[in-house]
Amino acid sequence: MADETVDVLIIGSGHSGGMAAKILTQKGISCLMLNAGPVADVPRDTAVKAAYELPYRGFKQPGQLPHVFQSNEFNANTWVDEKEVPYTHDPQKPYNWVRVRLFGGRSLFWSRASFRLSDYEFKAKTHDGYGDDWPISHADLAPYYARVEGIFRVQGELANLPQFPDGNFIPDTDPWCGSMQRFRASAAKRNIPISKQRTSLGLDGLASSVNLLLPDAFATGKLRAIPNVIVRSLTVDKSTGLVNEAHFVDRLTRREMSVKARVVVLAAGTLESTRLLLNSQLANSSGVMGHYLIDQIYGAGFACSVPEARNGRSTEQLMSGSAIIPRFRNISSRESKFLRGYALNVWSGTGGIEPRNFATYGAELQQKLETYHGSGFSTGIMGEVLARRENHVRISKDVVDAWGIPSLHIETNYTDNEFNMARDAVDTGMQIAEDAGFEILTKNYDPNPPGYSIHELGTCRMGDDPKSSVLNKWNQSHDLKNLFVIDGSSFVSAGWQNPTMTISALAMRAADYLAEQMRLGNV
Amino acid sequence: MQRRDFVKAILAATAAAPAALAQQQAVPAATPPPPPTAPGPVPWMRGLMEAKQLPIGLLVADSLARPDARYLSDRQFATLRHLCEIFQPSSKGYPGALEAGTPEFLDFLISASPADRQHSFQSGLDRLDSEAQQHFSTAFASTSPQQADQLIRPWLRTWMSDHPPAEPYENFINLIHHDIRTATENSQAWSDAAHRAGKQTPNVDLYWYATDPDLHREGHSLPQIQNHAKA
Repeated sequence: MADETVDVLIIGSGHSGGMAAKILTQKGISCLMLNAGPVADVPRDTAVKAAYELPYRGFKQPGQLPHVFQSNEFNANTWVDEKEVPYTHDPQKPYNWVRVRLFGGRSLFWSRASFRLSDYEFKAKTHDGYGDDWPISHADLAPYYARVEGIFRVQGELANLPQFPDGNFIPDTDPWCGSMQRFRASAAKRNIPISKQRTSLGLDGLASSVNLLLPDAFATGKLRAIPNVIVRSLTVDKSTGLVNEAHFVDRLTRREMSVKARVVVLAAGTLESTRLLLNSQLANSSGVMGHYLIDQIYGAGFACSVPEARNGRSTEQLMSGSAIIPRFRNISSRESKFLRGYALNVWSGTGGIEPRNFATYGAELQQKLETYHGSGFSTGIMGEVLARRENHVRISKDVVDAWGIPSLHIETNYTDNEFNMARDAVDTGMQIAEDAGFEILTKNYDPNPPGYSIHELGTCRMGDDPKSSVLNKWNQSHDLKNLFVIDGSSFVSAGWQNPTMTISALAMRAADYLAEQMRLGNV
Repeated sequence: MQRRDFVKAILAATAAAPAALAQQQAVPAATPPPPPTAPGPVPWMRGLMEAKQLPIGLLVADSLARPDARYLSDRQFATLRHLCEIFQPSSKGYPGALEAGTPEFLDFLISASPADRQHSFQSGLDRLDSEAQQHFSTAFASTSPQQADQLIRPWLRTWMSDHPPAEPYENFINLIHHDIRTATENSQAWSDAAHRAGKQTPNVDLYWYATDPDLHREGHSLPQIQNHAKA
């Protein structure tokens, strides 16, 4: 019978698990990676199809994936089915938990928006008095951001804004299209900056763990991986007080097995890592675990039309590309209705406009669609959600998943701070657009339900004080020195930025630290 | 069959042979069954592997077959058909919603939908019909385009993705409009029209099959083994 003790057990294979595997194995440390889902074989698992070939004409199976707004009938099989892995919430406080268990996790479908947090996030309490500061600053993470940006091949434009730190970018030399220039000039009159988007180019349009991180780890010969196994719990060696074993179940056969490890690195995604620790009843002497669930508001925005691009006059020079208005509120002045800030994504294109932008039908609608074709210009908010202790997850013992593992109950909601922020974003964006001469077609002030952004963060926050935080500044458990949690659960505040760059940089930094501690014999 | 079982079978046959011979001398001695063929290419498998792809093409059943069952009542279905005619008539060589089989498809889609969606859809159709009776003393299915417009247009709204109107009747009118357009433009009839016009089928994308589907089924019990977490 096999009874090996692995050096480092990594649970999860997304950006954070992949980064830890790459760094640790390249330093000569043997790792075993467990992943809850299968390895996607894209040529075997996919086919190009027309919507009419699908059973529901592209509508997706009714009732399937009600919380995954991003799903459609083409991609429905890539998301975790909540009948198989359920979670609960108050019906009046919905939460969209969007999950992927394929090997590589959600990194397979990442939109590749690549931003750093600034000290307006890391030291937010110092700036405005709310919440808590992180135990690290941008300067601590900057060298790791730079390395991650190099691996991911981030393309961007230097903006020289303290709230939007520049980085190790591949220069974006594409010219601004005509409509963006007009929007930008209109924003400048209000002292609102606009920058080119910052995007990971990756390889062939994919910036995933499976093509940027894990190949390097496997190339060392130091990484082994087991797909289709779901970790049920971690246990502690009573003689050492350290975590030393993971108990998992085979997804298909339901065979129960265990593996021993000297170090455990949790990278299962914010809420799955927290769920595993809560089920294991570990690393929570602070009582903070599960609390301070945060994310970002999405869904509020507006759509408009650029008059000069109508009636067949749309060109790439006038209508193409995207841009971002980075946070500009509560930087040098103080808003009365909300703390922190938001960014606005802005994009234009030469394609068609959605029919729901016109309150008409039939031949009249068809005429509108033809006239307005190629003139669409839209924006959407990415806004910070404040960290609040009452927004939390806990184990729902009465509800178990398909393998008998207790589920999560998620309790979170937005407050006036988020709603006022969303309203300000839409109103301000529309004023800029109208001043630029664009016609507003549709607007929406209401954020999508919490979780929609797929940027769930917190619940194992880091901090210097073991009484008020789960992890130290190295993503290491205060309670168990051989346990590291390196996904988004360590976040103290969310910021407005897509968190992938920060998660990856933190994972790299934690892995560097872990390797050094192992070399010194401290772990 | 394992080799051990195979040996047992031979021994059993040998032991039974004298008695069998005593009863029926004419029957030849029992011979053991041949060992099963190992998995691998057998002649018909080779044939399958070498068979050419049949020219079945991309034909879906609802492009030519009629559904045998209907979820909506006759009255509701007639209302839906008229809405389809009004919201998306045929235009410039492309089929309208009726030609695309949209009423029949939406009837099926609603039949498979959660109860709240079914209620919203059916009560919306009923209200539309009721308002036609109230204003024009006729079923909605028999209203003129002008009459139908008076009933529909006040409820039309613009809306952003994921945020259809919240008021229930506004929600019904705007979502059914969206669904009629989507079902029509995602039909094979629409695709055929696009090809006739020298254009490509719209809404073509990468479809993901289920990857190693889970074996869990209703009623399937977990192994009755104490796991470590419980130990």
